[in-house]
Amino acid sequence: MGRPGLQPSRCARQSGGRVGGPEVDPPPHFRHKTLMPKSHGLRILIATVRVPFVQGGAEIHAEGLRRALREAGHQAEIIAIPFKWYPPERILDQMLACRLLDLSETVGVAVDRLIGLKFPAYLIPHPRKVIWLLHQHRQAYDLWQHPLNDLHRYPNGDEVRAAIHRADCELIPQARHVFANSRNVAGRLQTFCGVQAAPLYHPPQDAARFYTRPAEDFLYFPSRINPLKRQDLVLEALAQTRLPVRVYFSGSAEEPAFERKCVALARKNGCADRVQWLGSVSEEEKRDLYARSLGVLFPPVDEDYGYITLEAMLAQKPVITCKDSGGPLEFVVHHQTGIVAEPTLEALAAAMDSLWEDRERARQWGDAGRQRYDDLDIDWSHVVEKLLA
Amino acid sequence: MKVLVVTSGVPFIRGGAEILADNLCQALSAAGHTAELIFIPFKHYPPSRIPEHMLACRLLDLTETCGVRIDRVIGLKFPAYLTPHPNKVIWLLHQHRTAYELWDHPMAGDLIHHPDGPVVREAIRQADRELIPEAKAVYTLSENVSDRLRRFCGIAGEPLYNPPAHAALFHNNFAGDYFFFPSRVTGVKRQLLVIEALARCQERTLVRFAGEADSPRELAACVDAIRQLKVEDRVEWLGWISEEQKRELYANCLGVLFPPVDEDYGYVTLEAMLSSKPVITCADSGGPLEFVVDRQTGLVAAPTPESLARAMDALWADRRGAAAKGEAGRARYEGLKISWENVVEKLLC
Repeated sequence: MGRPGLQPSRCARQSGGRVGGPEVDPPPHFRHKTLMPKSHGLRILIATVRVPFVQGGAEIHAEGLRRALREAGHQAEIIAIPFKWYPPERILDQMLACRLLDLSETVGVAVDRLIGLKFPAYLIPHPRKVIWLLHQHRQAYDLWQHPLNDLHRYPNGDEVRAAIHRADCELIPQARHVFANSRNVAGRLQTFCGVQAAPLYHPPQDAARFYTRPAEDFLYFPSRINPLKRQDLVLEALAQTRLPVRVYFSGSAEEPAFERKCVALARKNGCADRVQWLGSVSEEEKRDLYARSLGVLFPPVDEDYGYITLEAMLAQKPVITCKDSGGPLEFVVHHQTGIVAEPTLEALAAAMDSLWEDRERARQWGDAGRQRYDDLDIDWSHVVEKLLA
Repeated sequence: MKVLVVTSGVPFIRGGAEILADNLCQALSAAGHTAELIFIPFKHYPPSRIPEHMLACRLLDLTETCGVRIDRVIGLKFPAYLTPHPNKVIWLLHQHRTAYELWDHPMAGDLIHHPDGPVVREAIRQADRELIPEAKAVYTLSENVSDRLRRFCGIAGEPLYNPPAHAALFHNNFAGDYFFFPSRVTGVKRQLLVIEALARCQERTLVRFAGEADSPRELAACVDAIRQLKVEDRVEWLGWISEEQKRELYANCLGVLFPPVDEDYGYVTLEAMLSSKPVITCADSGGPLEFVVDRQTGLVAAPTPESLARAMDALWADRRGAAAKGEAGRARYEGLKISWENVVEKLLC
């Protein structure tokens, strides 16, 4: 600590003796400077929701934003409201809960900015709110009546959907500015709510740590094992490739039934020996797999944004995605940085064969992907500047 | 077990309750459970905000997550402990105190000054009386908190003590020539009372204050008092300090000052005992009185500048006696068998 007055020698001098008058050591200095409140930049709250015991991209996103705000000299904290979307009436309860919270100030000191990320937390009122929309409640919008979702099957599904629409349409525009995670998310907001939002991209976690290595004999598909990510489609396509294409899958299984389906598919189609299931891998292992892959597979259903596309670009690898994959389409340029295929087995199989066949072209597309990433100016300081403007 | 610890608090403010919540989650993980913290922001003014936040907590659904059951919810602070759950246990850190024992407190009372204060007070009391008993079991932070719960709501709660963070790292070096007063700087911790006592001491006592101010206003009040009473040269104001610095300041002090208004529990007392230091507290300080034995492990003064000054003078003049009281405090801590293992076992049974 090195503060004067805390040295043992000082005590030794005094032991046994009375303290007083002229014999006392110089008094500790009354330090006026530390009495002044320090300048801590703005006080910012990030409002989001979380599903207990589930960690995903949204948590990483909120953490990344907090870190970036702190690095820019601000005080920032995350407020994460627990969210459960079933039965449907719960959604209304939690929308109301968010509207009842008051984050305008703390102990008399103003909260300078509220940054809302996820539904329904972005509904929390605040006089200086900015929304950076990660996604709306998709089951009430683009995924309404989607076979993978069930809101429409409840007797009160219609009613709840209407309430969500009404709240979004009326309350989102109360924010001072509305940004979206991607052009795809901005597009949906425009289509369904008639509200304009500017896309604002941010980098994946540890973007600076991605690197590249010479391509080895596998395509890499990193994603949670989930029907919306369509590992099953890739496995069916793999059975139709002309060439002995190999695929490494990594990611945690969220739905055991779907994982079983995938494993069974690989076996049924006789391509089990061309598939590797790596399960959850560390960030380090993930970067190594990107670096050594021939290319990256990322054909999800209408992804909001998709870190995987960006990570592949950082690792200088071409990306195979689908025409209905959403977010990745804002980054992948067909036949320049990867392949945008129809979401069919045949088209996906042809795309995989084509990367497998022409390694030199795959390498060039990978390089072009990295160039494109660098040209897009995706960095946190840009995000902070926009959100606080 | 999947366990959610549910608490409320004020964003940007980190005090004992926030540390306790983190430590509880760690202790649950260490015992092999999956534990997460749910933090619901709370703003207690104007009074009408309070029922709104109570309602918000009642609207949350923590019964399950993605179809998987949540086995236990542990509620800590008002109003988060009102969140419903079929397997809820409350470990009451404190109720909303200005609706109870601090209602008409001259410094702390706030609801009382608002026209809708009485209505809101009644809403809080009614919710507590009806909803706290929904829990499978009710534990409290201390005897003091149990007392209040019994007195005001007629509900029994068993005190369940917990150790301060990093209890094993506290130690004793030597008795330096300063009193240490670590606490958030805010009215109920009574830094002002200590500053006034300092001005009345016969001995040339010195006090090191550590801790951040809740608001610039609280800070200004202390600064003004220090200047008006001309005790600038007997005060060191450290503001925020690291945990390591805090332990060193404990280890090297003559004694610890901790005279809050009716504290719920008070880690400061326990940290002082772990550091083998005598504690000066006040007869109305609440929690510390469950631990400090007057003239054996410290001194219990009346909450007046004069009485506090006498206690400070007494320790300052009798350094050997101070050291002996510190040792007795450490022995008393050991005897209490305060551990996280015990806390986790009780909360999950």
